[in-house]
Amino acid sequence: MKRIWHHPEPLKTGRRYWRSIAEHENAPEFQEGLGREFDPSLEGMTEDERENSRRDFMKMMGGAAALSGLSLVSCRRPLAKVVPFAKHVEWMIPGKPLLYTTTIPRAWGATPVVVTTHEGRPTHLQANSLHPLAGGLDIFAQASVLDLYNPDRVKTLSFRKELGEVVEVEGADGFKKEGPNAGEVADWARFQAQLADWSKAWAASGGEGLGLLFNESASPTQARLLGELKKALPKVKAYSYEPVRRSSAAVAAKTLLGDGIKLLPQLGKADIVFSLDCDFLGLDPQSENGIRDFMKNRAPGKASDKMNRLYVIENRYTLTGGVSDHRKPLAASLIPLATAVLADEIGKLTGDSALSQSALSLVSAAPADIRPWIAMAAKDLFANKGKSLVLAGSTYGEAVHALVIGINNALNSFGSTVDILKVEPQTNGTIEELQADLKAKSLKNLFVLTETDPAFDAIGFTGALKDSGAELVYLAQSDNLTAKFSKWTLPAAHYLESWGDARSSDGTYAIVQPMIQPLFGGVSANEILLVLAGKKELAPKKVVAAPNATPAPAVSDIAYESVKETFKGIAGGWDEEKWNVTLRDGFLAKSGYEKASATVNGGVIAGLVKKVQPTIAPDKDSFEVVFTPDATVWDGRYSENPWLQEAPDPITKLTWDNAAWLSPKTFRALGLKSHRYENSTIKVTVGGKTLEVAALECPGHAHNSITLPIGYGQKQANIVGKERGFDVNPLRSSAVDFVLTGAKVEATANLYEFAITQDNYTMEARAQVREGTQERFAKNEKFAATEGMDSHIPPTNLALYKGRVGKKQDKNPEAEDYNPEGFDYENNHQWGMVIDLAKCIGCSACIVACQSENNIAIVGKDQVRRGRVMHWIRMDRYFATTDSVDTDPGLNELENPEMVHQPVACQQCESAPCETVCPVNATVHTEDGLNAMAYNRCIGTRYCANNCPFTARRFNYFDYNKRNPLIETELPLVGKVRNLYAGPLGEKNPQEMVQLQKNPNVTVRMRGVIEKCTYCVQRLEAAKINQRRAARDDASKLRIAADAVKTACQASCPAEAIMFGDLANEKSTVNIWKENPRNYQVLKYLGIRPRTSYLARIRNVNPEMASVETDRVRKTGEASLYNF
Amino acid sequence: MGNLFPRWTNWLPLKLAVCLGFVGIGAVVGATYYLTPKYYRVGYEPTQPVPFSHKKHVGEVGLDCRYCHSFVEVSSHSNVPTNQTCYNCHGPDKGQIKKESEKLAMVRDADKTGIPIQWTKVHRTPDFAYFNHSVHVNRGVSCQNCHGQINEMEVVKQAEPHSMGWCLDCHRNPENKLRPLDQITNLTYKPEQLNRDTFYASLKDKGIKEDQVVKTLLGLKQEDSLPADAPKDWGKVVELAAKTYGPMVTQKEVGTQLKDHWRVAPPETCAACHR
Repeated sequence: MKRIWHHPEPLKTGRRYWRSIAEHENAPEFQEGLGREFDPSLEGMTEDERENSRRDFMKMMGGAAALSGLSLVSCRRPLAKVVPFAKHVEWMIPGKPLLYTTTIPRAWGATPVVVTTHEGRPTHLQANSLHPLAGGLDIFAQASVLDLYNPDRVKTLSFRKELGEVVEVEGADGFKKEGPNAGEVADWARFQAQLADWSKAWAASGGEGLGLLFNESASPTQARLLGELKKALPKVKAYSYEPVRRSSAAVAAKTLLGDGIKLLPQLGKADIVFSLDCDFLGLDPQSENGIRDFMKNRAPGKASDKMNRLYVIENRYTLTGGVSDHRKPLAASLIPLATAVLADEIGKLTGDSALSQSALSLVSAAPADIRPWIAMAAKDLFANKGKSLVLAGSTYGEAVHALVIGINNALNSFGSTVDILKVEPQTNGTIEELQADLKAKSLKNLFVLTETDPAFDAIGFTGALKDSGAELVYLAQSDNLTAKFSKWTLPAAHYLESWGDARSSDGTYAIVQPMIQPLFGGVSANEILLVLAGKKELAPKKVVAAPNATPAPAVSDIAYESVKETFKGIAGGWDEEKWNVTLRDGFLAKSGYEKASATVNGGVIAGLVKKVQPTIAPDKDSFEVVFTPDATVWDGRYSENPWLQEAPDPITKLTWDNAAWLSPKTFRALGLKSHRYENSTIKVTVGGKTLEVAALECPGHAHNSITLPIGYGQKQANIVGKERGFDVNPLRSSAVDFVLTGAKVEATANLYEFAITQDNYTMEARAQVREGTQERFAKNEKFAATEGMDSHIPPTNLALYKGRVGKKQDKNPEAEDYNPEGFDYENNHQWGMVIDLAKCIGCSACIVACQSENNIAIVGKDQVRRGRVMHWIRMDRYFATTDSVDTDPGLNELENPEMVHQPVACQQCESAPCETVCPVNATVHTEDGLNAMAYNRCIGTRYCANNCPFTARRFNYFDYNKRNPLIETELPLVGKVRNLYAGPLGEKNPQEMVQLQKNPNVTVRMRGVIEKCTYCVQRLEAAKINQRRAARDDASKLRIAADAVKTACQASCPAEAIMFGDLANEKSTVNIWKENPRNYQVLKYLGIRPRTSYLARIRNVNPEMASVETDRVRKTGEASLYNF
Repeated sequence: MGNLFPRWTNWLPLKLAVCLGFVGIGAVVGATYYLTPKYYRVGYEPTQPVPFSHKKHVGEVGLDCRYCHSFVEVSSHSNVPTNQTCYNCHGPDKGQIKKESEKLAMVRDADKTGIPIQWTKVHRTPDFAYFNHSVHVNRGVSCQNCHGQINEMEVVKQAEPHSMGWCLDCHRNPENKLRPLDQITNLTYKPEQLNRDTFYASLKDKGIKEDQVVKTLLGLKQEDSLPADAPKDWGKVVELAAKTYGPMVTQKEVGTQLKDHWRVAPPETCAACHR
């Protein structure tokens, strides 16, 4: 008998959660896709066509099966080889991973990581939990291991006679024509000879005309080597830059507080944080542990726990805005004015009239409607004086940062929520100075030692380079635009291949340790410095291996020696043991910057503020254009990383592209269309330059403002990164301007296809997030667990799907909890997970961590559009508004909705709907409560995916691992088709380089197989095996210690929002979290008892703000309430 | 109109059906015999590049398995030794055993050039099955249980089918294979060689109580209560064991005791071996 399950009516809470505009409007195309595993329209076939194609398929397969019977493949067993090492390798145990610590140098510091290596191959990164600032890994750090295995990395030296993107080359017909500038392959000896020539000239002139360009980093060895080089060649010039960060904050700090000062926000200590477009939880990190420390204070265990509060003003939704308690969309060009207004208010409240005075020139220009909101927030900041903190985005100018220093000073934040640290004064020139020097023709040789692509991301670089006469030597990971303008391109070593060091944001010294020999003979920036100093030769001396000769004593790597030398200086003398401990732990304890005392020279603020021209609010004739880093490719340096390309943007859920973000009101005012993510494009004209870019509706965006994430649209790139999205850099006027005003925007008739993941896997549009204000939490701690029908669900198993549930109790049949069929908590581990929505910021690092650990394939833009994205964790991004049933259903709701993120992976249901429908028992339950997958058993009926209420299962439609989904194949007669669809004629490219990254403990799934999260079962089994191995004959030691095993997502989470462990062990932290009153189960009424549960999100709203938050639509008559 | 089909065709369908039936049965029987690892894997005996004799090294010289397969107790893989291991004994500048032997030329070459010898794999686990040596050898499963009498093999050959059914046989009834931990690499081990007093004394040393052992001897579960006439001291326990299993120690006796008191519960779910 077919039983139809009646889902309860959605709860009428006066609040509605939705994921896309189509869902908000209940658009027909959204309704059509509901309840189906995949959006039918995106398949590009009608029902008839599908039926016909199925029949064709059956016919063809029948023929193929008959034919294959004729040609019996060889039945001989393939000969497999075992190749042991010739000599023992230290620490190497075949079959066991080796873990090493290292550090990723970043613009704001250094990310401490632990690298998992399998037989010498780095495969996975995790945060180094020993490090005092360890705070998970962000998405970029997590994905960076794949960059090492990029098959398109620069592998050889190349020399270019002519520079430019295209040059004259001899065609096949003998005639000269335009062609790509490939350059000629050179060898190290030739470069070394060239270098010798230059060196002679430098030695004579003291390094005249030699320039070095770096990214911003805090590497003591680099600084020391540069210092030594400058001592030998005093006229050498060094520059450093970051494409999406400005030095303005440092300049402001220098002006107000003196040289050699660094301000480090202590987010864990702040009760009230006010962010002026500073995405400190997302793309504008201030420190390694910022997310961990900040989110720690947002997850109350009980109602009396203190929470911090976050105010955000920004033009577009950011992750920080999503976490905020109060958010105001404001054009980015008005942020300096808003800063001035805040300074004015704080000045008035604290009696610091000088601060108010200094902001005056901007305050008078500020629009009146922003003041009430800011004033109310300022009151809150002042009430928490000494425990409050104001932050400004690092792309804003000196005036904004100077005002913020003034505000923080007035709020007594220095020493409490902001540390003043003593650092080495920055001596490198800026990118503007470099461009000026190039234009002045004072540089003859420029060594570009950056991870970034300055010709692409530093506006004006190529212009300045032209006619400057400077010859570039570029240390490149990828054959990108800068390489085309470089005389010499040298292969760069990845950070996992080279020795180096870095200081984290608080100054803790850490070593960058190589995990593997450079795969393509790359060298590091430090090595180039050593070469320039004459301490290293790049041309490898040919070693003639004489038979029977004793091997020459190993020559120590000079890069390694130079790091040791630096360590000696920092640790106060050479100490072998200390060095070894530093290498093992990944950092030198107590090596942070010293705290300094400095007084703020408030007198100079006014001068800086006066330099700023006040802007007026953008309108429909004069748009503003805001350039931001992209959430998945940053400034473009990660655009060659397919994991990041396919990771959905946390806000827009866009993959493989960037887009112009517009507010829905502006979008519609321009008459733009969006239907099933085929979006209109717009023409943006600013400063005489025009760009056509596809537009995307973004709720919560400021009006008449366009956000353009940079980093996409690279023309000089390889298969993964080439010509994806839109290159927005040509619109920019300089390398340091990120907000342009006075732009003209017009709609075009063109459409562009986006691959957006948000409407896939919708769980039939049932919103499964629960949240409440702190007030509600105080009134009823268990509000989340009892919301809706949840308190009326009987404890017995009502599910359609019978199976073991609950705890086994077979001793006493009389007792109420008698359950002989239950899970054995005494003899087995029982795995469970809790995800705290109050802590989750939606950064999506877990998605990439899972991909790295579990060998999840990427599928390419076309497949993502068809809803076939393979990520095991789906990061649902909900917007929350008032339920529009009883209020304005118009666009006002989209002005400023709230945002909640919820990661959803397999919930490991105890009575799992997927298991009962599998015809081949490929998905079964284990004794420890896992919903396991036996991939080799799966025949791909997809019944399980169809029956999963969480839509957590993914199907391999193609052999994504063997066939490159990103390329097209030329077929005879047919022409170009997508490689996946070329069948057996397609290029079968197993991508050996990428295979090196695969985790050997997880099966690589093939076509026709369902896959999903299994709580990292390989880690669980390894932990259990290790425990049993150690226990041997001692039966009392068979249980794994509490919290000893972490899943990949848990280990990567920078907010520590995921807790996982053994429910049967009372010492497990996961049990404490399961007891938390905020704990609730998703779709509890189905009675399927998921092992993953969630903690409701709590918002710490300021009730006084209700009266000034005019852009948040509320129910009629409840305008002054926060009623969720 | 005459008869289109002659009379004998009346029986043709039945004959055909019977015939096809036999063919079908034959095919099934044939497939179950010939297409299972028991037939096509057992006995696989490839020639190795260096004619290394396990019979000589293990059976005659008496090397322990772990001398060469040194990480078997800690790792999932049982490593094939590095060339250095061979060279330590056979190298002209090292142990000097058979230092000029023709057969060992490859070992000497490999030491000189650093290019390892490529051995031919005998036992192959499919990529989707994750077998772990360490947990087996540390919990009472001997090398011999899966690899056979290696000590008698001149050339190593596969002795057991290593099929999933074969794995599960033991996972379901581990008592048929378990042996004391000090006998794991003893390839000539027979339970009869064990001294019953010593065996039970070793259990006692591990802190196992008399009544626990008695329950196992009587085939009771550990949570069941003992009958009133159960023996109370170790001497009596050994007597009871002798009464139950006869004068010699048997595999069943050792296996059940070890299974119960080490709490050996081999996993039978898919996730144990497939991930």
